[in-house]
Amino acid sequence: MTDFHALVAEDEPILAAALVQTLQRLWPELHIGAVVSNGADAVEKALTLQPDILFLDIKMPGKTGLEAAQELAEDWHDTAPFPLVVFVTAYDEYALQAFEQAAADYVLKPVSDERLAKTVERLKARLARHQDRGGELERIVSQLRALAPAASPAGERLTMIRAAVGNQIRLIPVADVIYFEATDKYVNVVTADSESLIRTSLKELLPQLDANQFWQIHRGTIVNVSWIDAAVRDESGKLSVKLRNRKEKLAVSRVFAHLFKQM
Amino acid sequence: MNLSTPSAPHPYPRLRRFAIDVAITSVFNVMIAVVITYVMQVHNNFLVNLTISMCIGTLAVTFIDGGRLLLWGLERPPKLAFFLLLAVALPAAQQLGNIIAAQITGVPAEYFSAARMRNPTSYMVVLLLISLSITWFFWNRTTLAQLRAAAEEQKARAAAIEKQAAQAQLQLLQAQIEPHMLFNTLANLQGLIAVDPARAQHMLDHLIRYLRATLSSSRAEQTTLAHEFALMEAYLGLMSVRMGARLSYSLRLPEALSGIKVPPMLLQPLIENAIKHGLEPKIDGGHINVEAAQDAGTLILSVADTGLGLDAVPDHGMQVGLKNVSERLQVLYGDAASVSLAPNVPNGAIAQLKLPLQT
Repeated sequence: MTDFHALVAEDEPILAAALVQTLQRLWPELHIGAVVSNGADAVEKALTLQPDILFLDIKMPGKTGLEAAQELAEDWHDTAPFPLVVFVTAYDEYALQAFEQAAADYVLKPVSDERLAKTVERLKARLARHQDRGGELERIVSQLRALAPAASPAGERLTMIRAAVGNQIRLIPVADVIYFEATDKYVNVVTADSESLIRTSLKELLPQLDANQFWQIHRGTIVNVSWIDAAVRDESGKLSVKLRNRKEKLAVSRVFAHLFKQM
Repeated sequence: MNLSTPSAPHPYPRLRRFAIDVAITSVFNVMIAVVITYVMQVHNNFLVNLTISMCIGTLAVTFIDGGRLLLWGLERPPKLAFFLLLAVALPAAQQLGNIIAAQITGVPAEYFSAARMRNPTSYMVVLLLISLSITWFFWNRTTLAQLRAAAEEQKARAAAIEKQAAQAQLQLLQAQIEPHMLFNTLANLQGLIAVDPARAQHMLDHLIRYLRATLSSSRAEQTTLAHEFALMEAYLGLMSVRMGARLSYSLRLPEALSGIKVPPMLLQPLIENAIKHGLEPKIDGGHINVEAAQDAGTLILSVADTGLGLDAVPDHGMQVGLKNVSERLQVLYGDAASVSLAPNVPNGAIAQLKLPLQT
């Protein structure tokens, strides 16, 4: 039997050390390649180390465990099977229900020996069934979809975007927006004749948009569906959308590929 | 069947007031008739004098009180306008009352005037005195009613403040030992017992110190700054064990201020805020500085962090913890205390409390 590698992402150092210690006691053959303390490091290390198992704390600074998992799913290279993900969470009833519904593997903090032993058994069994691991990416994608908070219907709908251009504030009707594109700290608002930066994140923007009109197609892109001409798949299997009267193509990540399945 | 409760407000408050005033005036009228007949011995006919007194008195109350109630309702009328009303209403009531009384009694009106002419000065003095005393009576009655209303309002306000204070006390109790904080601390403690028993012992010491100080200050209405700072040191100690290198802190309490009396648990909500919104979500964490200072009779308590700053907080508004502190200070000191939240330089936020210095 080959050795398996694990990556632990947990921001509280003592809890991370305790999880590592318990894991080593319960599963001495498991190599814990790295312990990281935030979501961004978790994605980076996972992409380079390509571990078999990933313990992801939900509440971490910078990126949550769920966001890290989504980013990893979008950027994963198919050279290695996607890691088995175990979410680690503090006691919170609503979130636990969500994990149950999404059939996602999770453990509660502080992790008890018995619970972790069960998780270890389940992980070992899944690692032993090799054919299962090809479907791991689809599995996590559908789990993340189930865990994503549904847009609240009661939320305020945005009708105008206020963007600072030089020393003036330009008002852009939301209906005129072709797509929103996340940059480092800003969101680029693209219309037929302008591009402007606004200081917000797609995460904050998304609940304020009409879900029938605007689709998130990538962690960094929300597109106005009426501007979509077609979705195309290139030779390497990557999906993207072509826009009406526009040259650019927008990448569609695995997480959102289901939006473009034929009816 | 009468469904109205005894305390229900009268459907026509002004009409009711008018009826009461007319009844009181009638009593005055009888007294005036008695005085005129038996003390001043004018005409020596009580019934005639009562009729005259009733006519003039009822007309006067109708003009003056009715006019007042129509013009100003139950409020206290403006003085000048009210005296103008008196100046018009009194002679009118007197003239008209005389004519009506003459009609009723059959005694010619000239008879009254003749009687008046015989002793005009005393007649005028009596009329003026009567009018003034009745007016004074009613004026005071209005004032009294208003005083009573003001007292009741004062009482209601006091009750509201008391309720607010009780609520604040409850929030304070809940804020002190937040289950989430306790749970997270215990989770870390459990982890430490396996990883590093010596440090676990140390953390347990922190926790016990924190819980003991919290309990004792939750029972007290006042604590000293020294006690409050010691409590916050224990709290930050627990948080820094949890967050590791991501949290550093300093506490600065000038020796001269250590004995200053303050309401308990003013600082913790500010520190919780700084950690929750500023440092915990920041990848590199940061520093918290808790400081006390004084400026001309004002105590200034500030919690400065180097976290994400105010832009990162979703609605820029005051968080629940800050709002609770602000409400408590409002109840205790009114406008003499204030809470503010401002950006820190180069990054982070500063929360500041200002309250009257008490030794």
